[in-house]
Amino acid sequence: MIASDRRVREVFIELSDTLVDDFDIIEFLDRLAAHCSELLGVSACGILLADHHGALNLVAASSEEARMVELTQVQNSEGPCMDAFRTGHPVQVADLREARIRWPRFTGAAVDAGYLSVQALPMRLRSTVLGAVNLFSQSTGQLDTDTITLGQALADAATIGIVHQRALARQEIVTEQLQTALNSRILIEQAKGFLSHSIDIGVDEAFALMRSYARANNRRLTDVADDIVQARLRLPRPTG
Amino acid sequence: MSRNGGLLEPLLATDVVIGELDELQFELGEGPSSDAAATSSPVLEADLAGLEAGQRWPAFAAAGADRGFRGVFAFPVTAGAARLGVLTIYRREPGPLQSDQVADALVFADAIFVLALDHRQGVSAELGEVIETAFTARRAEVHQAAGRLASQQRISVTDALARLRAHAYSSGMSLHTVAIDVMADRLQLDSDLAAGGAPPRTAPNWPPTNGRSHPHATDNGQDEKEQEED
Repeated sequence: MIASDRRVREVFIELSDTLVDDFDIIEFLDRLAAHCSELLGVSACGILLADHHGALNLVAASSEEARMVELTQVQNSEGPCMDAFRTGHPVQVADLREARIRWPRFTGAAVDAGYLSVQALPMRLRSTVLGAVNLFSQSTGQLDTDTITLGQALADAATIGIVHQRALARQEIVTEQLQTALNSRILIEQAKGFLSHSIDIGVDEAFALMRSYARANNRRLTDVADDIVQARLRLPRPTG
Repeated sequence: MSRNGGLLEPLLATDVVIGELDELQFELGEGPSSDAAATSSPVLEADLAGLEAGQRWPAFAAAGADRGFRGVFAFPVTAGAARLGVLTIYRREPGPLQSDQVADALVFADAIFVLALDHRQGVSAELGEVIETAFTARRAEVHQAAGRLASQQRISVTDALARLRAHAYSSGMSLHTVAIDVMADRLQLDSDLAAGGAPPRTAPNWPPTNGRSHPHATDNGQDEKEQEED
């Protein structure tokens, strides 16, 4: 176990405080992804949701977004996340170099990106699986049982964020919320692309810029993204 | 229903009664379709005669139930800031859609999205190709490229997506490849001529309004209605 009990408590309190009315799902999942890599001691974390085409979509990540997008997309043909999503069970690979036969494309892409071990935790809601949380480490080795349990609790928190405040969410509510999350992410990608031209910055940097603007101004991340693509809001290019 | 500026207008219905229901939502300014458009999220109402629907849309719920319709399922025809309209399915029986019916409706809404983009650029593709594009059109890079192109050419994200799609179609490249090339600055799409042989666009909108106040000329989406008969 890497994180202290106290830090774990703080994170869960912070996350539950975020779940107010009118919260922004992408903002919530973005914080969750960052906390996952911190508390679990992994190098990167991505949160993936399945769409109605059966494809996994990256909706939030702790870092290195372009790489994470690529590693997500590869997994629509093969990989631990697709397996966790299909089976509803966690998938743990202590050394990716030994998984080349199982997932040749995914393993190649992950090792190229500098990762040597990977975990995928399903986002379960009763009998359905909404997506998966993908954890990458630059070192080999299994996560211990306590860390996996904590990881699954964080994955469950992500599911709770999606079905937000509806403990016994009906299927309709889940559909509505899931589509909102997927569509919000599309809006954010559009705004990243917009900023990549209008102020000439990289897409990863564009995301960080929108996020810090939204937090500083107490606005929803998706509302900020919408204002940017509608040319109602101009963010200054970060200095330095 | 299609979005003409910010207003949702009935565009196409599978029969007269359905057309009336859409018209009614439009006139009353309330109903599942306008909520779906406002939130960019599906609105799935299993029973118009139920308490919840009556509280949420008092006038429309009563009028719809009077005409013998109980289930109303509205799916936005949307991708991020490109908000084109709503696909609404009406049903005479109360009760939720099965999850595979919901998944089908979402795929239809995505296909209508691509057809509406193609309509703007004069592209007429085969249905299989449209469905394939609807699948690709959800990828992150496609939307980054749409945002980049919108800023470069000072057009709406909707028009940017339509241009990316038209370029992919006319060049035979995949939408994903076109998007990656746009992001890498390897591909410049002509800002004056629409791809695919359509006439030059004469009314670029800038800034692209989200149109809550007034309709504008280049934002005619397309939409459809389906009635489900049991």
